[in-house]
Amino acid sequence: MGKIFLRHLSLLVLTLSVLSLFSFSLAFLFPGDPLTNLTGVRAENQEAYSHLAASYHINGSLFSQYWHYLGQLFVGNWGISFSSGLPLAEEINRSLAASIELSAYALVFAFIIGLPLGFVAGLKHHKIIDYSLLSASVIGYSIPVFWLALILILIFSLQLGWFPLSGRIGLLFDIPYKSGFILLDILLSDLPNKSDAFYNALRHLVLPTLSIAIVTSTIVLRTSRRSVIEVMNSDYIQAAYARGLSSRQVLLKHGVKNALIPILPLLVMQFTTLLTNAMIVETIFSWPGIGNALIQAIYQRDFPAIRAGMLAVSVLVLTFIISMDLMIRLIDPIRRRPENATA
Amino acid sequence: MPRLKLYQEEFYPSPLQNTWKEFTENHAAVASLYCVLFFIILVIFGPLLAPFDPLQQHIDSLLVPPTWDSNGNILYLFGTDGLGRDMLSRIIYGCRMTFGISLLLVVLSLFIGVALGAIAGMSSGLRSSFLNHLLDSLMAIPTLLIAIIIIAILGTGLVNSMWAISLALIPQFVHQTRDLVRNKLKKEYVLAAQLDGASKSHIFFNSILPNMGEMLVVQATLAMSTAILDISALGFLNLGAQAPSPELGAMLSEGLDVAYLAPWNIALPGAAIFLMMVSINLVGDGLRSALRYRLLR
Amino acid sequence: MMSLLDIKNLTLEIDTQNGWIKALDKINLVIEEGQIHALVGESGSGKSIIVKAIVGAISQRWRLTADRMNWRGLDLLKMSIKERRKIIRSDISVIFQNPKSSLDPIVTLGQQIKEVISVSHLEEGMFWHRGKQRHKFAAELMHRVGIKDQEVYMRSLPHQIPNDVCQKFMIAMALASQPKLIIADDPTRGMEITDKTQILNLLSRVSQIRKLSILFVSHDLLAISSMADYMTVLYCGQTVESGRMSQLRKRALHPYTKALMDSAPSFRKDLPPKSPLSSLDGTIPTFQHLPIGCRLGPRCPRARKECVKVPEVRRIHDHTYSCHFPLHRDKK
Repeated sequence: MGKIFLRHLSLLVLTLSVLSLFSFSLAFLFPGDPLTNLTGVRAENQEAYSHLAASYHINGSLFSQYWHYLGQLFVGNWGISFSSGLPLAEEINRSLAASIELSAYALVFAFIIGLPLGFVAGLKHHKIIDYSLLSASVIGYSIPVFWLALILILIFSLQLGWFPLSGRIGLLFDIPYKSGFILLDILLSDLPNKSDAFYNALRHLVLPTLSIAIVTSTIVLRTSRRSVIEVMNSDYIQAAYARGLSSRQVLLKHGVKNALIPILPLLVMQFTTLLTNAMIVETIFSWPGIGNALIQAIYQRDFPAIRAGMLAVSVLVLTFIISMDLMIRLIDPIRRRPENATA
Repeated sequence: MPRLKLYQEEFYPSPLQNTWKEFTENHAAVASLYCVLFFIILVIFGPLLAPFDPLQQHIDSLLVPPTWDSNGNILYLFGTDGLGRDMLSRIIYGCRMTFGISLLLVVLSLFIGVALGAIAGMSSGLRSSFLNHLLDSLMAIPTLLIAIIIIAILGTGLVNSMWAISLALIPQFVHQTRDLVRNKLKKEYVLAAQLDGASKSHIFFNSILPNMGEMLVVQATLAMSTAILDISALGFLNLGAQAPSPELGAMLSEGLDVAYLAPWNIALPGAAIFLMMVSINLVGDGLRSALRYRLLR
Repeated sequence: MMSLLDIKNLTLEIDTQNGWIKALDKINLVIEEGQIHALVGESGSGKSIIVKAIVGAISQRWRLTADRMNWRGLDLLKMSIKERRKIIRSDISVIFQNPKSSLDPIVTLGQQIKEVISVSHLEEGMFWHRGKQRHKFAAELMHRVGIKDQEVYMRSLPHQIPNDVCQKFMIAMALASQPKLIIADDPTRGMEITDKTQILNLLSRVSQIRKLSILFVSHDLLAISSMADYMTVLYCGQTVESGRMSQLRKRALHPYTKALMDSAPSFRKDLPPKSPLSSLDGTIPTFQHLPIGCRLGPRCPRARKECVKVPEVRRIHDHTYSCHFPLHRDKK
């Protein structure tokens, strides 16, 4: 088992290094002076510029530059943004936390709705409820997420006025930054009107979360439905029925567990779609997440920010996927068989 | 439809005919196929069908509602937008752009991806396993992110966004092809061909590729829906097609300003994208089910 | 004496694209207590469907009609699915072809066998003793079918154990509910000869010791001839002959039975070297082209005009056959 762990760890390290290399090369690919792109310091700022030029061995080999860059990354110096002039590391931290919060809530919501409905649809295969759930899921799956967000805004924000249009929390509230997760921060802070703030933050969360969650839950529904159908048609389930086990026993003890196992890897792969949708939704709702930050950065041609943002998102995605993959390997008893030589 | 049985012959349909038979039993899928064909006709004959030029502004008819509204005008079937441009023509051209470009991109990515995947699949050994794992991990990066980076390098515009999206689609095809090729290589009929002395390319083109065809088509429909979504998303974010180009996503973002006064500016382009997505997804679903049942029965 | 299972004129129709087709056409099957009864037929003759029909695992869309289908006197046709399942759980057990695919792949063997042990099989005691009692009973069952190292196997998963142990385990599970009838649907298919003999010996031993009836469905004549007391021959959904094994071997009345017996080389007394093995010409007809009347008609060497009508069942003591022109009974 340690071997599996090592394998995944080495894979992670490998891909991360490839990514950092790519990020480094972007400095040269982006238009403009490479050193400026790397650090965010422009040529006008003579002193800092020459200082950096020396430490980056600008006249030396590419490899030494890359090595220095890597060192800076580990230390936490991710450069300075063009537009704001502030160090990127902290901005990225905040935005990343906001994005993770939004995506996490959407994911949980999608699972809570999608999994049980998928199971119901799979068990009542070819019956009316199956068809209606399937049609609903096709519709939810085909709606462009930005259109859905716009329509939700049109109806619920402008027409009915139930939910706010944008942002994370009302402008009147000033929540101190502790963890980056706004609901948690509200609870941890000692503001006088905590419940108001909490309620306000929740209202701001509803529409963005719903936009992402609707699309994702349809995918969860379809995947779990397909898995349930396959499991229920398998030989051992039929054999269990022939043994005389009751429907409930067969379902709960054997059906559910076996159906859940193949779902996990498929859903992990959907994580990237979730992120793409989250990025778009963030822009529409002006949610201060990393997606929004990246897109604003590209509008303003803020290259250091783009690079740093890309690196942050990729690191997040890769770490998530590889650790999920590792967890699946460990949980699934069938996959625990020793690996053979073929990859 | 019973065939005239004069002789005691058995009618054994080919796999392709089998798949088609299964497919036609799914009414929703067939309807969607007609829809897709309709869009293809739009792509080819769009300019002939559109009543107006999509960029032409009619100053005296700004924000005219669609025909079914009481204030509407029969001249402008879907109404006009904030600059007086006819929505119907814009939508026809928009569909043409989005659908046609997606189709083009998918075909391009398919060829490149299959070629790369075939090479990766037919080769074996440590080098390929290493490459494969790397590829899998890199496939995890969101397509929008890849698109953003490429646009940052190359600049905005429709052509650049096309490059970006095709580059984002290729890894999927490579992965799928590689898996399929690996799978088929283990089959006995490939072994038989190898023992007969067939060269690698012969095995690939004659034994493996025909068996991959259907799966590739399913993958292509998936890629197509991703491509449509991404093109319109980039257009919406003003990173791809720029105004005044009649791309559906760009139209949506333009319509945002007047959304409250003239909701049809948002509803109609979005509905067009939705319709494209639904039809492609249903066709893909139908194909997948048909393939599955064909293999079962 | 009441027979254990009494099926008369069972017809099963399946809805296909070419209309309703009779997968089983008026079959008869009678199993007595303590009897090892073999059900023989080629692939596609409908053996597995009969098993499904008895157990009640047929699809809702199929039509089942029968004059009589009794289990120890109780009419199975009149019961609801729940009641049938209750009887099956207590009185009948089934063993399938591929033992590994009949087991849940993520649950240990121990857990799976304990599932089938109901409370009534355990001794008296408080309910917190039951876990241990279950475990002991399970281990004992496994010991009785000849599995050594029960503890190790109880903790293993299905894909970790060898095939013959797996099938023995299935037999142990089948015995757990203390049934009156075990239906074995080709349990030794694809097994090596050593494993096969072990399983067959186990089954006969079990039948003798506990007076269990076994319905052994197969097309492996060698296996059957060593074990079975009675045999029913099935061709293409019709029962053609049924009777004592010894009698069928000596004096088969139906041409098909004779052809079957002849095709197994060990049944022939003196086989000259390099002589062609005998077999019946032709193959089993497909669903779309089922012959009317006696379905062996087109292939049968003794067929004549009358064979387009389904022959009626005739009976001599406990030997039944349905043929217009049986062997050894030529009309003068």
